[in-house]
Amino acid sequence: MSEPLLVLDNVTKNYGAIEALKGISFSIGKGEVVALLGDNGAGKSTLVKIIAGGLEPTSGRMLFEGKEFLARSPAEAKAAGIETVYQDLSLCTNVDVVANFFMGREITRKVLGIPVLDERAMEAVVEKALASAGTRIPSLRTNVEHLSGGQRQAIELNRFVHWGGKLVLLDEPFAALGVEQTRRGLDMIRQVASQGIGVVIITHIMQQAFQVADRIVVIRQGVVAGDVARNKTSPDAVINMITGETLAGAGPAG
Amino acid sequence: MNPRTRHALEFVLDNLVWFMLLFVLVVFSIFIPNYFQLGIFANIIEASSVLGVMSIGLALVIIAGHMDLSVESVAALSAMAVGILFCSSGIGLGVQLHPEWLMVPVSLLLAVAVGGLIGACNGYLVVRVKMSAFIITLASYIWVRGLVLVISGGRSAQDLAPAIRWFGIQRLVGLPLTAWIAIACFVVFSLIMAKTPFGRHLVMIGGNETATFRAGIRVNRNLIIAFVLAGAIAGLAGWLLAIRTSGATANLGVGLLFNAFAAVVIGGVSLKGGVGTLPGVYAGVLLLSAINTAINLMGLPANYTQVIHGLLVLAAVLLDAFKQTIRQRLA
Repeated sequence: MSEPLLVLDNVTKNYGAIEALKGISFSIGKGEVVALLGDNGAGKSTLVKIIAGGLEPTSGRMLFEGKEFLARSPAEAKAAGIETVYQDLSLCTNVDVVANFFMGREITRKVLGIPVLDERAMEAVVEKALASAGTRIPSLRTNVEHLSGGQRQAIELNRFVHWGGKLVLLDEPFAALGVEQTRRGLDMIRQVASQGIGVVIITHIMQQAFQVADRIVVIRQGVVAGDVARNKTSPDAVINMITGETLAGAGPAG
Repeated sequence: MNPRTRHALEFVLDNLVWFMLLFVLVVFSIFIPNYFQLGIFANIIEASSVLGVMSIGLALVIIAGHMDLSVESVAALSAMAVGILFCSSGIGLGVQLHPEWLMVPVSLLLAVAVGGLIGACNGYLVVRVKMSAFIITLASYIWVRGLVLVISGGRSAQDLAPAIRWFGIQRLVGLPLTAWIAIACFVVFSLIMAKTPFGRHLVMIGGNETATFRAGIRVNRNLIIAFVLAGAIAGLAGWLLAIRTSGATANLGVGLLFNAFAAVVIGGVSLKGGVGTLPGVYAGVLLLSAINTAINLMGLPANYTQVIHGLLVLAAVLLDAFKQTIRQRLA
């Protein structure tokens, strides 16, 4: 395995008496794509939120680039180089595409010492980013509320590709995408990984996991039930890990 | 639909309230004798300065997805503070500073600081203690007005120091300086909202607070600043109010809150947050003022004003819904 980027060491999370995560340990290498699989309620989203700074773990520790790491807010995680695409989209529909793309990271120039938004520079960047990803949006100045679900998701995906950072977390990023857009999204992930960025992708679709991931990590009832290289396993074996038993007549996965 | 008509239509929708203002002015000028005079138009602007300044602060907080019901009482408290210190009769202490002009920055600073302090208090309770802005600022609306009554003993202060009064008397291009202050406020805050990251962040927080938090924007800090600004601006409105009335009474500015809400809503700001611009709010303020002036000129009893304002707010909300449907068709 390549040099570890993020190491999780026995991370737990309790909600009162409920143990959502009972001790998760695994690692992500630089340029590695890890698919995080598991049934509903297995704790995948909780885990992503802990890495992304949305939740604090109850116990356990994380190492990011070899150093002790704990993000107390999304801003801290972002500053460390962790980008997240959430299941429910994180777009402000009341502003335009450019404003969303640069949310919290606006390009400014100083006028009399006051930071002023440099709209032209930002628009140029967005135009380039979307064009290179093959995403077509009629006008970058339309408010996002007027765009389709697929277009919105495309903006989110292009956003993380553009900002990159060191580690990208994707929580079911393709839920609203069509076949062609999904294929392009998967390409984007490979492209991002080839730049040495670590990628964690949560998905329910086995086929996607096998298409894109280097390694598959299965979480069941708050523990890691399996951690295998993609080319050493099969969809059926993974399904067994997810459910914890062999289902008779489960049919082909995906 | 070709792009040009689409752009034209979007332009009209974005600036609808300005077109309404123009329409109303034209109609009044045609049908009401003596309406079409420069003096009348100057008066419309002059009469709207206090309300206008107050509406800016209210609009900021509403655009950020919250609410500030306390602006009216805050303005009254600031006005009373200035009145008590710098008025020479009634309950005024008649404090004199030398040189005289020093009273201007001191009184202004006092008014703004009083407002900003109450704004900070509101902001802290809403953002950190996570209580509903509606309830918190409703409480402030009540206790701050109560405080005005307490410190004034229900009496009034008259005869504001001439150095401060000067702003209400001195005219520049036909308008008193107080009106220019209001206009300057609109220009400055419109620029802040449209051109700076802070303004952009407030709009986005009003649109989707979770998304902005995840994007690493310091939501709490921005919201508290918005509340402090709303309070400070209300303080400035109080300062202007004290100048206009040359003093302060215990019930100064009662009813301004509802006019400010009307102006903000008519100006195209959505109470749900995230939508609206300050130039629109100014047009809303001018529209209300234009209608008031028309009512005065026609000699209608002033009581009609309230009915008309209420209907206007209703019309503005309906219009907003209508605008939304058109926009959806455009997209």
